[in-house]
Amino acid sequence: MSAAESVAVVGTPDYRTRHRTWLAANLPPHWRADAVDYRPPSLDEAKAWEAELHRQGLWGIAWPREYGGHGLSLREHLIANQEIGRLPMPESQNSIGKELAGPIILAIATEEQKRRYLPAILEMREIWCQGFSEPEAGSDLAGLRTRATRDGAAWRVNGQKVWTSGAHRAQRCLLLARTGSMEARHGGLSLFALRMDQPGVTVRPLRQITGEAEYCEVFFDDALVEPEDALGEPEAGWQAAVRVLEVERGTNRMYRAWRFEQELRHLVTACRNEPALARLLEDGHYRQRIAQVQVDVEVLKRMVEQVVDDLVGGQPIGGRGSLSKQHWSEAHQRFAALALEMVEQASYPPSPEVAAAQRRFRKLYLQARAETIYAGTTQIQLGIIADRILKLPRGA
Amino acid sequence: MSDGFEAAAEIARTARRAAEACAGLDAAATARRLGGDGLLGVLAPEAVGGLALPLSVAAPVVAAAEAALLPFPLVEALLGARLLAGRQDDLAAAIVAGEAICTAAPAGALRSEGGRLSGTVGHAPLGTAARWLFAAVDGGGAALLDLHANGVSVVEEPGLELERPLAHVALQDAPAALMLDGAAWTTFQADALLLRAAGALGAAEHCMQRAIAHITDRKQFGRALVSFQGLRFELARHKLALEGARGTLGHALSVAGQDPCGQDVARLVARVTVAEAAPAIVEGAIQLHGGMGFTWDLGLHRHLRRVKAAALALDAVAARGALVERLDQLWAA
Repeated sequence: MSAAESVAVVGTPDYRTRHRTWLAANLPPHWRADAVDYRPPSLDEAKAWEAELHRQGLWGIAWPREYGGHGLSLREHLIANQEIGRLPMPESQNSIGKELAGPIILAIATEEQKRRYLPAILEMREIWCQGFSEPEAGSDLAGLRTRATRDGAAWRVNGQKVWTSGAHRAQRCLLLARTGSMEARHGGLSLFALRMDQPGVTVRPLRQITGEAEYCEVFFDDALVEPEDALGEPEAGWQAAVRVLEVERGTNRMYRAWRFEQELRHLVTACRNEPALARLLEDGHYRQRIAQVQVDVEVLKRMVEQVVDDLVGGQPIGGRGSLSKQHWSEAHQRFAALALEMVEQASYPPSPEVAAAQRRFRKLYLQARAETIYAGTTQIQLGIIADRILKLPRGA
Repeated sequence: MSDGFEAAAEIARTARRAAEACAGLDAAATARRLGGDGLLGVLAPEAVGGLALPLSVAAPVVAAAEAALLPFPLVEALLGARLLAGRQDDLAAAIVAGEAICTAAPAGALRSEGGRLSGTVGHAPLGTAARWLFAAVDGGGAALLDLHANGVSVVEEPGLELERPLAHVALQDAPAALMLDGAAWTTFQADALLLRAAGALGAAEHCMQRAIAHITDRKQFGRALVSFQGLRFELARHKLALEGARGTLGHALSVAGQDPCGQDVARLVARVTVAEAAPAIVEGAIQLHGGMGFTWDLGLHRHLRRVKAAALALDAVAARGALVERLDQLWAA
């Protein structure tokens, strides 16, 4: 089915049912993170799967149809994400393309650029990475040093990025580089869509807390940016992108609350089927903590739904994406710690089902440590809540 | 739909104005003022002078009243008028008009023998000023009692709150003005919890705003306190908790009609979030006021007393216990 045909189907009242049914029938069982025979997809399998998700109307939902999207609203985006969250599916290999680069391109790129970049993202022909953070510019991008200089109509890039998720598989980098002076701070920054497969780009994966290497260091040595790959006006694109990012913080990975709930259900199911763990489910202490996890999940759902309501109703969301990000990251850490604490009390040797839960929750526990750091640390989020939501005066 | 929003917004504005205008009034005068503004009939049907609006519209009314520390059992009036309509229309109309004060005793249950009631119930807010009382009866259901009837004694009892002192009520072969079935009484209690939650959050937000105003004005170490990141982060945490609780409460209010027994996820979650967030925010506001925070004169203790009492009634531990039972059922299906 083509993307254009699927739009007619997703517009019906059976929108949710259609997605639920399709996902249940088509998600390979061994890709489920709760499967006993869990085996994550290869990169090629993941690309083919995500391209199919797009054809089925599960990605690019609210993007305009002329750029490969499905032309629907955030309401449908929310419904689709609820269904995605209900299943322990593999994470997107191109979430930077779909949830960061894409919206910025939609806001600031030329018509020609939109037609060139956006369908390639949805069809998984181009995976994007995000080249913002640097060794000397993590939370504070004003200190960014990677420089882009004119080379005729093109640009040459020199410098280094770090904590760049997925750079080793990316074809494009949404690069933030300095084109003005250091003194101009945020004012001297410009955005580019840099090609990754060129001699001036070196990618070195960084091993992380889980043992996997998802982050990278990226080195630019006279890397070329063709004139047609500059995004927005020099030193203006970034200001526009910041406004996009504010909305994105409230809307990206919208499935999170429902995936979180799926993880909790997995924990409870795994415990029910093992006598030593089933006893924990009868223990008042653990019952209170499990209930609190569900409370945290419900709080997150309401925050996400409120943001969708406001955006669909044309209301600005200000810094409110920081509320859901902050709540989720801390609640998810608490859950991961609880889940690990519970499943590690299983009798030995664990059943295959319990072993699967132990594997999942060990990894989740470690992975969750990153969640209060990436996409704006806890301290950055609290600052945004204080400055932009509470609007506290600076004081002096 | 937008008309409904507009009506709700107008009622919220009216409630804030009325709550301010009630400063210094006693319970009877407060009742007349609120009744005169139509605020006591938000939930009651039109036949008794009410507006027949959904529970969610009553929430900002209670929030405004709690922020202003009104000495009046507003939740009981709102729900009492709704409950009595169609059963005792005259009394329902008098409550809506602010001419009769009713309260409810959430603690204890009465014995019913041959149509007469005996026993002791308690924790009735402003019981000594009220004329009418709702109280549980053994075996389910409740009774409406005339507190001026023979065989009824009403005595103040110790409690946290100052403006609406609690009372315990002892009865010996007292007549029931009305008997209420279990379903109606269960819904009354469940909805009372949600409205108390709305009140507690309204008070918490008010206290948070006072704390912000204080640290904005107050200078120490040569600068305004609000410039210190530690205090900004503290307030950001309060805001995060407030918004989390507000979202779940708003949802619970909007779907309350689908869960008249108060045992479904939305209501239980709202009870937990508000019971945890509201007292923590008021306690935090006291902390942010420093040495003056815990003085009698500053008055934040008055909010803390009411908010903490509401949080104890919301009972996060019991709500989490009921929630996990509910999840057991939902997830077994």
